[in-house]
Amino acid sequence: MTPVTGLPPWAALLTSVLVLLGAGLALTGSLGLLRFNSFYERVHAPTLATTLGAGCVLIASMVFFSALQTRPVVHEILIAIFLTLTTPVALMLLVRAALFRDRIEGQAYDEVKARALSADKRALLPHHRAIRPAPIDLPGGHHPGDGHEHDPR
Amino acid sequence: MSNATLLISLTILPFAGSLVAAFLPANARNIEAWLSGLIALSALILTTACYWSVTAGGVMRYEAQWLPTLGLNFILRMDGFAWLFAMLVTGIGLLVVLYARYYMSPQDPVPRFFSFFLAFMGAMLGVVLAGNLIQLVFFWELTGLFSFLLIGYWHHRAGARDGARMALTVTATGGLCLLAGMLILGHVVGSYDLDEVLAAGELIRSHALYLPALILILLGALTKSAQFPFHFWLPQAMVAPTPVSAYLHSATLVKAGVFLLARLWPALAGTDAWLWIVGMSGLVTFVLGAYLAIFQQDLKGLLAYSTISHLGLITLLLGLNTPLAAVAGIFHIINHATFKASLFMGAGIIDHETGTRDIRRLSGLYRFMPITATLAMVAAAAMAGVPLLNGFLSKEMFFAETIAAHDGSLVDQTLPLVATLAGMFSVAYSLRFIHETFFGPPAVALPRVPHEPPRWMRFPVELLVVACLVVGIIPELTVGPVLETAAYAVLGPALPQYNLAVWHGFTLPLLMSVAALLGGALIYRLLREHLLGGVEGPPLWRHLKSQHIFERVLVTVSWRWAGALKNLLGTRHLQVQLRLLVGTALIAALWSLYGRELAVDHTASPALDPAFALLWTVGATCAVGAACLAKYHRLAALILVGGAGLVTSITFVWLSAPDLALTQLLVEIVTTVLILLGLRWLPKRIEGIDSGARLRIRARRLGDLALALVAGSGLSLLAYAVMSRPAPSSISRFFLEHAYTEGGGTNVVNVILVDFRGFDTLGEITVLGIVALAVYALLRRFRPASDSIDIPEQQRLQNARDAAPPLRPPGTTLTDYLAIPAVIMQLMFPFIGVLAMFLLIRGHNLPGGGFIAGITMTVGLLLLYIAGGIRWVEARLHVRPVRWIAMGLLLAAGTGVGAWLFSYPFLTSYAAHAELPVIGRAPLASALLFDLGVFVLVVGAMALILLALAHQSIRSHRTPSAKATVTPPSAGET
Repeated sequence: MTPVTGLPPWAALLTSVLVLLGAGLALTGSLGLLRFNSFYERVHAPTLATTLGAGCVLIASMVFFSALQTRPVVHEILIAIFLTLTTPVALMLLVRAALFRDRIEGQAYDEVKARALSADKRALLPHHRAIRPAPIDLPGGHHPGDGHEHDPR
Repeated sequence: MSNATLLISLTILPFAGSLVAAFLPANARNIEAWLSGLIALSALILTTACYWSVTAGGVMRYEAQWLPTLGLNFILRMDGFAWLFAMLVTGIGLLVVLYARYYMSPQDPVPRFFSFFLAFMGAMLGVVLAGNLIQLVFFWELTGLFSFLLIGYWHHRAGARDGARMALTVTATGGLCLLAGMLILGHVVGSYDLDEVLAAGELIRSHALYLPALILILLGALTKSAQFPFHFWLPQAMVAPTPVSAYLHSATLVKAGVFLLARLWPALAGTDAWLWIVGMSGLVTFVLGAYLAIFQQDLKGLLAYSTISHLGLITLLLGLNTPLAAVAGIFHIINHATFKASLFMGAGIIDHETGTRDIRRLSGLYRFMPITATLAMVAAAAMAGVPLLNGFLSKEMFFAETIAAHDGSLVDQTLPLVATLAGMFSVAYSLRFIHETFFGPPAVALPRVPHEPPRWMRFPVELLVVACLVVGIIPELTVGPVLETAAYAVLGPALPQYNLAVWHGFTLPLLMSVAALLGGALIYRLLREHLLGGVEGPPLWRHLKSQHIFERVLVTVSWRWAGALKNLLGTRHLQVQLRLLVGTALIAALWSLYGRELAVDHTASPALDPAFALLWTVGATCAVGAACLAKYHRLAALILVGGAGLVTSITFVWLSAPDLALTQLLVEIVTTVLILLGLRWLPKRIEGIDSGARLRIRARRLGDLALALVAGSGLSLLAYAVMSRPAPSSISRFFLEHAYTEGGGTNVVNVILVDFRGFDTLGEITVLGIVALAVYALLRRFRPASDSIDIPEQQRLQNARDAAPPLRPPGTTLTDYLAIPAVIMQLMFPFIGVLAMFLLIRGHNLPGGGFIAGITMTVGLLLLYIAGGIRWVEARLHVRPVRWIAMGLLLAAGTGVGAWLFSYPFLTSYAAHAELPVIGRAPLASALLFDLGVFVLVVGAMALILLALAHQSIRSHRTPSAKATVTPPSAGET
């Protein structure tokens, strides 16, 4: 890391504020990832970092390099576009995988409950979750407990 | 033409012809024959043109620098003796080509035959004309290789494969011994130049290393010439097409052994060791071969043993240590080549026209093919040593030599008797060959109705038989000058007086000849009853077959011993292999540190940046976490490894190495996907199943941990020690200063890769391509563990959902769930492609380059596969990774070769800049083309590896049956 010279004070100030803001948002998102209870809550937390946080840092970068090279530097817009396009993919993949599993396990849960009628048995489930999602109507899907048997293990 | 042109064209012509012949269409029988005939004829004319330069001890030489630092030059050298052999090789080659044109069936793939044939001719000429010991061994092994291919020409027959393999094993082993012997010989003389070696006979014979060198060289020569105890391969090689037998096993290949003996005669002969080894081997082969030949039931088998016997005769003559015997040996080389080639061709005609070579079935063929019968009778008479034929002359010289006293030992005393006995045997088998084939009642139930062969198929036999007759009647006028030229080249001024006349008066040798003729006839008469019994092989000897002993030895060495060693030293456990590897590395490092101290310069290390320290803490935590979780939670471990990789990548950025950072990042991505694909095939492990592990296992794990800690920290210490000391003055400064001026690029890393060290890069991408092909080849025969064969749980659940009402086609769940992400991922593909191109083009000046661009492109492909699945992608996009690899290599190598067009060394690059519309000023170094090759190859290699692994999941895997696991793999598994 080499120290930077020749940066006007206003730019330095603006960059610092934006970078710190972005980093703070990312930190908050990470804290949320740590603190939230369920998967579906946790999944929202990092979006702070990928949207606002990343935005702040990118604007800071634009300001910094534009001021340093005394010409407008706007490459960061491309980064922003691709970030906006691609981060939802990861999110969607994660959430949909979780959904699928919860639906399958929800079924298993119903069966277990029907057989045992005991709240203690919930601890036996391999993937216990505090919050059960509301059944979601997926294209061609079905609701838990509609009699569909999943593949026995 | 100058000497150099003559010699070079003589060596190159057959190989060039071989290349052309290989590419002719499969049914071009006549064109092939014409081509081969013309090549052989031109070679013959060229050889003949050399004659006037080699008479009276003249030597033609052509020398070119090859490896001057090692004192090795490429030397072509022709003297009288080499000329004689070149004449045999080209002359008989021409006749055999003519013969083969009619012998080979139109169904046979003739391009292969003539291509190998010409290549063999070239290799043989290479042996004969070699003026350098190493060069001689090279061509020597080449003859073995091509003879292997020719013997195994009809490779659909098991016998042909076995015979070819045996011939190759025996002669190539001999060839390796020969190489060792030649190296010793070169060491003794101080030069590998044949002229210097031949001139240093006294020095060699008195040197302490004479005996080892002699034994090794003789092993080479005796195996090639099928001398006892290595004679067994020649009869097995009779499965070759008859033209091959006529050429290789009478006139050329087997003669290479005696050629070498005669060639090195001035340097090695004249000692007791030579006399006993060469002489005894020759004597035993001479007698044994003749005896065994009598009892063969196969025409070619009989001829093969007779060839062994005659080669034994030549070896014996060369081993007798007298110049006159050597002259007789050289003379017999000529005579044997003429009559034996014609006999082989005669046997081939009989086989061709009757459909069998079995002596028991043949009879009375004189009626059907009188001309062929007459020719064969004359040739067989020459073989038996009947007067007025060439065989008689050299045999009488041999008898004369046996009588001349040498050292007075028991062997020497009995030599004339043994020689006469062997002479009787050869008369007996010659008689048998003629009598049982051509006389007696007409054969019945032959596969074909016998008749005379086509006119031109018989022509080579006629020519050779006429040669036998002419040489036998007027030797002094015909073969005299040639023999003198050849013998003078071997013996030099020590050439003795000899007389080639047919009639020497009533002498002891004549008596021996008459005794051999009468005795041979008598032996045949006495053995006739036994032979008509139709039993294969001689009495008593029948059960002791050399080829069986050879096979036993081979099985023991290559199967039992190898298996035992594998059981003793091999392991299928990765842990053991890794332990050995890491342990060896540790010991090697400690060994080199022993007694020295590892200087670590603490003062040079700069102050630690807290941010950097934090970064590394994260990275180290990830790495340790990955190691802890690796056993039971592989996916989590993989994610943590990715984290460690990211930290490494950021470290590179921190330390101002953007190229490395970019490469590291991309490699991390691809590696993660690669391991993800592999995870599915790893055996399942369930946590807690071995919690009560035994003490021994715990101890082993602790030991492994200790080993890992010691090796890892040692490596870190070494790395720290190296990095903390001042950098030595290396060539990196040169690269920094000259990257732009010489390479035309400001990205020094890339300029080094594609320009300064382009040759290294070419090697590296070649290795990459080979690795990819190897991975592909290994995965093609991939057998997963039985518990990994079932489709994974997730997939089963999805399929169950698809199968449940409402019924949907399988895979719908996945498609539904992936619908939106898949669209975005597919959308990204063109952008990633553009990015890859961008990285490629700017690579010469800014971070990027072919390698980085290649991986980027692969990542794009991967995304497509993830989004759409294998079948979706491959229905739309033809991914042909192997072609990409080939194209990349060709492009990179082609760019390198392109420099030759401008008469610069290989891989010289040229840099320029061009003004392009829209894009602006763009660098246009020729290195960019090279980089494009790297790019294409990297894409191909990575894609091949990833796809080979990905395709496993749609392959159907069989559960290994219980039977398959019990039976050991057979050697011939194909």
